[in-house]
Amino acid sequence: MRRTTWLVVLAALTVTGGAMTAPALSQSKVVKIGDLGSKVGVFEGYGKYQTMFMQMAVEELNAKGGVLGHKIEMISEDDETKPAPAVRKAEKLILQDDVKLLVGAVSSGATMAVMDVTKKHKTIHWNAVSCAEFMRTTKFHKYYFSNQPDSRMQANGLAKYIVDKMGKKVYIFYTDYAMGQSDGRQFKTALEKIGGEIVGVAGAPLDTKDFSPWFGAINQANPDVLFLAFAGTDSLRLMTQLHSFGMTKKYKLAGIDCFLLQQDLPAIAEPMEGFVQLAHYSAYNPDKQMAAFNERFKKKFGVDGNIMAGAYDGVLFWAAAAEKAKTFDADKVEAALEGMCVDNTHIGRQCIRKEDHQVVMDMHLYQVKGGKNLPIARLEGKDTIGSPMVGKDPVEGFTWEIKKKN
Amino acid sequence: MDYVLTVLLPQLLHGLVFGAALGLLALGLTVIFGLLGVMNFAHGELYMLGAYAGIAVIGVAHSFWVALIAAPILVGLVAAVTEMTTLRPIYRREPLYGLILTFGLALVFREGARQIWGGDMRRVLPPFTGSTPLLGMTYPNYRLFLLAASSLILFALWLFFTRTRAGVVVRAAVQDAEMLDGLGVDVRRVFTLTFAASGALAALAGLLLAPIFTVYPQMGVEMILLAFIVVILGGMGSMGGSVVAAFIIGVAQSLFSLWMNPQRVAIAIFGIMIVVLIVRPRGLFGREGVLE
Repeated sequence: MRRTTWLVVLAALTVTGGAMTAPALSQSKVVKIGDLGSKVGVFEGYGKYQTMFMQMAVEELNAKGGVLGHKIEMISEDDETKPAPAVRKAEKLILQDDVKLLVGAVSSGATMAVMDVTKKHKTIHWNAVSCAEFMRTTKFHKYYFSNQPDSRMQANGLAKYIVDKMGKKVYIFYTDYAMGQSDGRQFKTALEKIGGEIVGVAGAPLDTKDFSPWFGAINQANPDVLFLAFAGTDSLRLMTQLHSFGMTKKYKLAGIDCFLLQQDLPAIAEPMEGFVQLAHYSAYNPDKQMAAFNERFKKKFGVDGNIMAGAYDGVLFWAAAAEKAKTFDADKVEAALEGMCVDNTHIGRQCIRKEDHQVVMDMHLYQVKGGKNLPIARLEGKDTIGSPMVGKDPVEGFTWEIKKKN
Repeated sequence: MDYVLTVLLPQLLHGLVFGAALGLLALGLTVIFGLLGVMNFAHGELYMLGAYAGIAVIGVAHSFWVALIAAPILVGLVAAVTEMTTLRPIYRREPLYGLILTFGLALVFREGARQIWGGDMRRVLPPFTGSTPLLGMTYPNYRLFLLAASSLILFALWLFFTRTRAGVVVRAAVQDAEMLDGLGVDVRRVFTLTFAASGALAALAGLLLAPIFTVYPQMGVEMILLAFIVVILGGMGSMGGSVVAAFIIGVAQSLFSLWMNPQRVAIAIFGIMIVVLIVRPRGLFGREGVLE
């Protein structure tokens, strides 16, 4: 009887043990990637779309068998648009969840803070929207990659169009933190280099509620063009207020690529009419690759795509590099990514520049017409990317001082 | 001339609009200071609650105008209950008790709002949009309405304080509550009603400014500092002084923005306050005995 009891216990243990090892085996064939960004607050739209684009890439890759026989699992975290929570969440994703790729963050300040974490823990880091100029220069590290046109690239492409077609007297109004300061600096530098005149600069804090106190100084400077470096709900409020003071009709408007997402435009179509920006993607670009990509995205989520599509490419590049390196080891994946080209990104074939890990991205100048971002000119990536400046100070000698012209 | 019309005049209007709304907030604060002898640190939170109460009413009634009446009444009731249950027992104690209590109440209201409505920013749509051409410039209709409405309310309050018996009683209570008690007036009732009215006024300012500033739990903290400056500048406990000082601060803040980044205008505002306090230590219209 005693022996029978032992046999039953042994059999039960064998069965349950077997049952426990079966999922453990399947779990060992999972590779995790991290999605870090603003899910609430001033930049929440960007963070939510980053998740959607990554999800699309993950599902497409998993449908083809995943990466190196592993199913990709995505873990999303909210960084509250602040560097400190971004660092905490990045450490959680890397140390606790063991992600092999980290995409994010959204705000430049948070992304730069996260760069220290990915450098320390040797994790492949993909930036799909932050544009401060320090990331591929002084903050650069070997595990960092980006397909977001940074401030320097955007300024190089946009400044010439503004001076040639819109007017030479420009007022720069920017959000006073890493991203806006970077955009303001690079745009001022690029514009002055080609003969434009900066007639005023001003910064407003992130998440400013009322912009009207700044309007007097703008009217006082009386520019031809108002260059706006804001994003998210800041841009929404700013445009609504500029319009109510009649300033959207008084001045020509231009701004950065992430000023507003396509989804926000119909609601403020009238204030945004004529707004010019340089970007790598628009749902309304008739380009075959972009149109086909947008159709797939729209079929899946029921809405148009936007510039956060760069996050889709991040997952694609990483997966291709892992397949090439035949491992998820960060050093080997990094080596495989350097100089790598991928054909099926959201805008077709793209390649990573070896020196600073920046994707050499062709872009378009867009103008808002009837709430849609429509292309008005195409610029090649090699003409805007600028020379590699890894380790060099991108703002050396820069001053906000305004040079008066007679 | 062009400079005056396109630059100075709009800035002056911004200043007047903001000054009028700030006056509503500061007036309640200075009246309560006269009654309690301490600054009501929870006043900014009543301003914040006004905006949230407005959002709640708009959600039910779908009307900004209904909210403009209902929200101040709701917040006035909250203020009355707060006064009766927390402030009344400590009236005869040191002013420090009131200071600490109102500071605690501010935290309770703020975190309570965060628990109920969350920490996200909320928008209140203005009841009407569009702009009006005015002397060659364009000015938003809602801001013009805000200036007119706030000015009218301030004028009505002036009439109340100077032309009605109830107003005279409140002024008397602000100056010498004990004497008023001796004359047979129910001072406790006066205190409760005045505190409620002050809260309602703050709530009204909160909802009127909500379409411009948006609504979030911290909104009261950002405004109350300016309201404190207004009360000190106008003269502690001086109602007229607060209104005048609110317009001075509003216009100064707006005009200084022409020559310095608005982010740094607070330095100039504090500068004005320091200069006034050096020249007139009791503020512009302060009376002898207050804070002494």
